[in-house]
Amino acid sequence: MKAFDFSIEEGIANLCFDLEYTSVNILSFDVLRSLDKKLDELKEIEGVKLLKFTSAKEGIFIAGADISDIQGLKDEQRAYELVREGQRILSKISTLPFPTLVVINGACLGGGFELALCCDYRLVTQSPKTKIGLPEVNLGILPGFGGTQRLKRLTGLSKALELILAGKILNGKKAEKLGLVDACVPQGYLEFKEKSFIEQILKSPVRKKKRVGSLLDQYLPKLVFYYARKKVMQKTKGKYPAALAILDLFEKTQDKDVNASLEDEARAFSKLSITQTSKNLIGLFYSAEALKKEKGVKRKVNPISINIISVVGGGVMGSGIVFLFSKIDKLVRMKLRRYTQAGEAINSILKVYKGFIKRHRLTKNEVENKLAHISYTTGFNGFSQVELSIEAIVENQEAKQELYSELEKVMDNKAIIASNTSSLSISILSEKMRHPERFIGMHFFNPVARMPLVEIIPGKKTSDKTIVTAVALAKEAGRTPIVVGDCAGFLVNRILIPYINESIRMFEEGEDFEKIDKLISDFGMPMGPFVLADEVGLDVGYKVSKVLEDTYGQRMKISGILDKVYHQMQLLGKKAGKGFYLHKGQKREVNEEVKALVFSKRSFDEKEIIDRAILIMVNEAALCLEESIVANAQYLDMAMVMGTGFPPFRGGLLKYADSLGIQSVVVSLQSLSQQQGERFEPAKLLLDMAKNGETFYKEG
Amino acid sequence: MKERIAIIDGLRTPIAKAGGKLKEYQAEKLGAFIVQELVLRVGIAFKDYDEVIMGNVSQPGHAANVARVIALQAGFPDKTIAYTVHRNCASGMESITSAASKILAGDGEIFLSGGVESMSNVPLMYGEQMTELFAALFIAKSISEKLYTLTQFRPRYLKPIIGLMQGLKDPVSGLMMGSTAEILAQDFGISRKEQDEFALMSHKKAEDSIKAGVFKDEIAPIVYAHSKVMEADDGVRFGQNMEALGKLRPFFDRKNGTVTAGNSSQISDAAAAVVLMSEKKAKAMGLEPLGYLSHFAYAGLDPKRMGMGPAFATAKLFQKHRLHLKDIDLIEMNEAFAVQALANIRAFESDSYAKEHLNRTKALGCIDESILNVNGGAVAMGHPVGMTGTRLVIHTLKELRRRGKNRGLATLCIGGGQGASLILEVE
Repeated sequence: MKAFDFSIEEGIANLCFDLEYTSVNILSFDVLRSLDKKLDELKEIEGVKLLKFTSAKEGIFIAGADISDIQGLKDEQRAYELVREGQRILSKISTLPFPTLVVINGACLGGGFELALCCDYRLVTQSPKTKIGLPEVNLGILPGFGGTQRLKRLTGLSKALELILAGKILNGKKAEKLGLVDACVPQGYLEFKEKSFIEQILKSPVRKKKRVGSLLDQYLPKLVFYYARKKVMQKTKGKYPAALAILDLFEKTQDKDVNASLEDEARAFSKLSITQTSKNLIGLFYSAEALKKEKGVKRKVNPISINIISVVGGGVMGSGIVFLFSKIDKLVRMKLRRYTQAGEAINSILKVYKGFIKRHRLTKNEVENKLAHISYTTGFNGFSQVELSIEAIVENQEAKQELYSELEKVMDNKAIIASNTSSLSISILSEKMRHPERFIGMHFFNPVARMPLVEIIPGKKTSDKTIVTAVALAKEAGRTPIVVGDCAGFLVNRILIPYINESIRMFEEGEDFEKIDKLISDFGMPMGPFVLADEVGLDVGYKVSKVLEDTYGQRMKISGILDKVYHQMQLLGKKAGKGFYLHKGQKREVNEEVKALVFSKRSFDEKEIIDRAILIMVNEAALCLEESIVANAQYLDMAMVMGTGFPPFRGGLLKYADSLGIQSVVVSLQSLSQQQGERFEPAKLLLDMAKNGETFYKEG
Repeated sequence: MKERIAIIDGLRTPIAKAGGKLKEYQAEKLGAFIVQELVLRVGIAFKDYDEVIMGNVSQPGHAANVARVIALQAGFPDKTIAYTVHRNCASGMESITSAASKILAGDGEIFLSGGVESMSNVPLMYGEQMTELFAALFIAKSISEKLYTLTQFRPRYLKPIIGLMQGLKDPVSGLMMGSTAEILAQDFGISRKEQDEFALMSHKKAEDSIKAGVFKDEIAPIVYAHSKVMEADDGVRFGQNMEALGKLRPFFDRKNGTVTAGNSSQISDAAAAVVLMSEKKAKAMGLEPLGYLSHFAYAGLDPKRMGMGPAFATAKLFQKHRLHLKDIDLIEMNEAFAVQALANIRAFESDSYAKEHLNRTKALGCIDESILNVNGGAVAMGHPVGMTGTRLVIHTLKELRRRGKNRGLATLCIGGGQGASLILEVE
């Protein structure tokens, strides 16, 4: 295997990474070992004045370590030895008898940046592809090749902690500002800037400004650790060991020199590398990478390029979708019932943009240009040029069908019509259309500005062209599209609603709902089912549940309490201030009126509550796989993580089932089904898997 | 003209009083809004347009060549060329006639023309002395030199030059536009009362037309203050009366003057746009145009009497194309000032004025006031200078259609001593 080219010209040695048979450089152990050999040779060569590291790959320096190397780690001692070897090899760079320079024009992440940190000088470009950072924490590990130590010495303690704990990825300019690199030049100037930079180094070593961090870093590191730990606990609830391990490591090595600290780093790394959390996060990473490559259909079909989009409906979803597409500079035309709705929608969109300006993610000028691309109408004028229209009106089949027939009158025959329905069948919605092949479901999640998932739902007659176009457009908007089958509730809601139903049922049977919420959020869900129901809106939740009950019958029967809360007490949830909880601003307290609906009190044990809430989802998920609602268990898990916030450290819903053991899941479901009824009857897929000793995931 | 130019459709924003509802929209934003709306409604793809031409008077410093900024913000692709035209108050007509000339010359087929003005956003400027001080500070080398320069500062240097006032001043004669109107009042002996009566009629006609929904098919509602919606011109005073008008003090000649804020056009913000192509092209594309531009003329005259522009330009136009006032079914004459419109009415019907000034043996003709500014004019609705020309074209055509008539005259006076007249037809 060839990992790089090597040449020497006028005393300048150039080690140019160019991994064979791939478009990406990665720092696998094989690459490291051949680097090791080359570094040893270099020491013997006479007349080398400087060594520079470059890359021959477009837009990439080194994307990181080989994740499959890490995924394969099972034994702590073996992991320790490997990472020590890596540290030893990279450390060699810093002991070379001549200056070293790394030229970064593309992604330089994780292990790649740890290599760069070993060099004397770092030169980067302003190219948008230049990305610098140590994102290891996202995979449940920490930088193990000296990154924690060497970064700290460049930026000071608190910045290093901030960057590593959040796994932040910086552009060239920001990296220069924080002192991660020595210079950041425009990409087009790189050639001669590099030359003059080298000349300068060779003339006299460039003196560097010594950065020791803030005053707090120097005099009160304890305080820095205290606040960092507090923030980590707030964010992770202690569920992610890597963040805590990083803090511990920094604390432990605070007064040690680099060499002694490296050993601690390697120990900490090896402990993390074999945790199930890390394996789970890596699994999700692979699923995400696989999803990025998905086009929506197997056949090779090119998507239609979409530049003018209309959004029908000015509610929360409608304006969220308008925001999303205006952000990627599409012309977006809103169709509303009244012009005042346009005012409201634009106001809410502006609020989201203001956040972007505040965080320096967009400039005021950019936002103004994006806003200028939004137009509005109460009629169907201006639709003849619209290439894709997204309907986001009330969940009412007749109203939607009527709208589509209007849209078909004014839109081009080839233009796509998409529905943001969360529960109605795409095939049925398109029944009366003249061109059902151009119709598809694009189900966005609320709040659209933040939720990464889009369910793409082809109907029976939807054309491949329509599918690939919807998938490509969602990706262009920075979202993760997952193609799912056309069943009631599609994928995410179909699995989620039984969980909410079951939780309400436990409340109906006498359990305190705030206790259920607490246990479920301890399990790792971002919020408990009752808080979620209030957030979504009890009206919306009820309507979706109703559609599901109508389709799936007894299995999804709406609990009598929800019926009472919504119909008799007419509670709507957070938006009206009252639901299962009373909401005052960000605070909430239990709504005793709702609690009074249940007379008897009964307490379940923790395991029973979790099993009833989560295993009912596992069972439904298995049914979805059986019915091929989604391509595979990995995508299903990604959908649940992105669509519901199912805890990533658990690797996904079905990964969780794997961790319990399918056999044990089946046993629990069977016993629940005897106590609670048929809704827990294990899916055939689960029974078969249990019999054959299979798991949803092949390994890890 | 060799061939008529088809005006496929036109659209405008409501006209807002300056410093009011649309003040948050800089000129390019107003322009982009209306241009995007029109292009989407007309249905010809952005990429199919050859050029965008916009008229604008107080061209914003932050958006030089505002037409290009408008084009890009509205959604035109990078390849679409665009330029800005300036013929003072006729800028919004100049954009249309420039496009017409280009079409006839074979220099492009499909054009987007319009006019835009944000009089709310005309900047204040530092005076000469302050500007010099800044320059001196800039070149001062040492701190002490800078400090010394600063000691030269006097508070009166901060008195701003109001860009808007500067823009409304004729640079050659040094007269404010309102003062040129006072000269017309003297030339023709037009009293304050006559002017106020004319102003009152303008408001009344506009009020009735708004109530009848006449402007609905030319106005695109626009969101302002981030959540409110403006659907109609807000300068029109419902229930305006002579008493209220009579209370206002003359603005330009405080002692003897007759021209007040009440009988002058208002300063305002708005944008308008039209889509243009040759009649042949429109036929080939199977389009049914709103109407046609068949002839136009610009004329020059004494800058001190710039208000007479309509008489001069119309005379030139009639002469050249052998037209008569009786051939005209509808007249839209911009009301820069009530007195200016009245003076033109007098001049049109005067044989002696025709002989003396218009190089004609006989008068242009007596204007039938029942076909003049039938839905009110700039005194009531406002005069966003760069936009008005386009508005007159759109409104004339839409009103001709409403009346089932064929031929209209849109004419306006131009600061600096010019006039513009356009013949518009619907069949």
